[in-house]
Amino acid sequence: MSTGRHPIPGDVLDLQPEATAAFWRLYGTLWSHGTVDQPTKEIARLRNARTTGCRYCQNVRFDGARQAGLTEDRVELIADEFETSDLSPAEKTVIRFVDSFLADPHGLTDEQRRELLEHFDAGQLVELTVGVALFMGFSKIAVALGPPPDMPTLVVPTPDWPPVTADQP
Amino acid sequence: MSWLPERAEGASALDRVFGLRPDLYEPFRAFYATFWTHDLLDPIVLELCRLRVAQLLRCQSEQQVRYEPALQAGLTEEQVTQLAQWPTAPMFSPAQRAALGFAEQFVIDVEGIDATLRDTVVDHFTVAGLVALCEALALFDGFCRFRSILGVDDDPTSGVIVVPGPTPTDGLR
Repeated sequence: MSTGRHPIPGDVLDLQPEATAAFWRLYGTLWSHGTVDQPTKEIARLRNARTTGCRYCQNVRFDGARQAGLTEDRVELIADEFETSDLSPAEKTVIRFVDSFLADPHGLTDEQRRELLEHFDAGQLVELTVGVALFMGFSKIAVALGPPPDMPTLVVPTPDWPPVTADQP
Repeated sequence: MSWLPERAEGASALDRVFGLRPDLYEPFRAFYATFWTHDLLDPIVLELCRLRVAQLLRCQSEQQVRYEPALQAGLTEEQVTQLAQWPTAPMFSPAQRAALGFAEQFVIDVEGIDATLRDTVVDHFTVAGLVALCEALALFDGFCRFRSILGVDDDPTSGVIVVPGPTPTDGLR
């Protein structure tokens, strides 16, 4: 992945097995045992990927969200023009929240807070915010370690804990 | 005080907010503690990066905390005071400067990290160290923002608080 003096291997996270295992435990719990539905979290993840510039994250789709109705046509609505799209009010509220998280987390407005509390309870807002923090942090890692090869859109198993597929560490 | 309408029990503002979801707070603490319990990075470098990220994101509650492993390893309050001047202040080593330069770029404009910056970190810390630094920065960046956007940061305690290194079981300040 790196063009510098020190090559960065593709499976680079395996160099820190304890931290990476701990990450997957948290991430799998978030995705498969949460109370926020998977399409909502997938919309937040993809909005972050778009803004953060993580090509890998932009091209991955988790199958749980896909099966729950987040088709590719709906993914295309997570764009600059999302406010005038057919996304639901809750989904638009989530995109605004992600945008605030990334641009200025101190700048969340009273109106945004009111809208968030209309659609989610306090525990769900903690879950959503944990998700956005992890989406941002790990997409930044992918960007920081260098761009991956070009890849097509890829539907992969939703992270779970304990892992239920051989595809997940 | 967080704007969320509910609170969990807990000693710190973070405990009372994140604790609303113990199913997530427990694996988060386990993940966070890994960097200290497994010595994935020099504890002074880890602490300097944590505090610099908190400065950049104006996260008051994180800036007030000092983890004991860093102090025991030799971190001084003078280094913390001079942290924003790390490129020129004399009390920072080349390795610390490499990590802090990477940390700033990670937070401010991650797409600006190039092979030269990665190589500089690897020269001091190895590729595995670069990975540990990236994972730690992802947590520091993401969860400073978590504190800010949920209002965990709105009720900071006063002064510097010295606490033991994070563990999987104890709450976090």
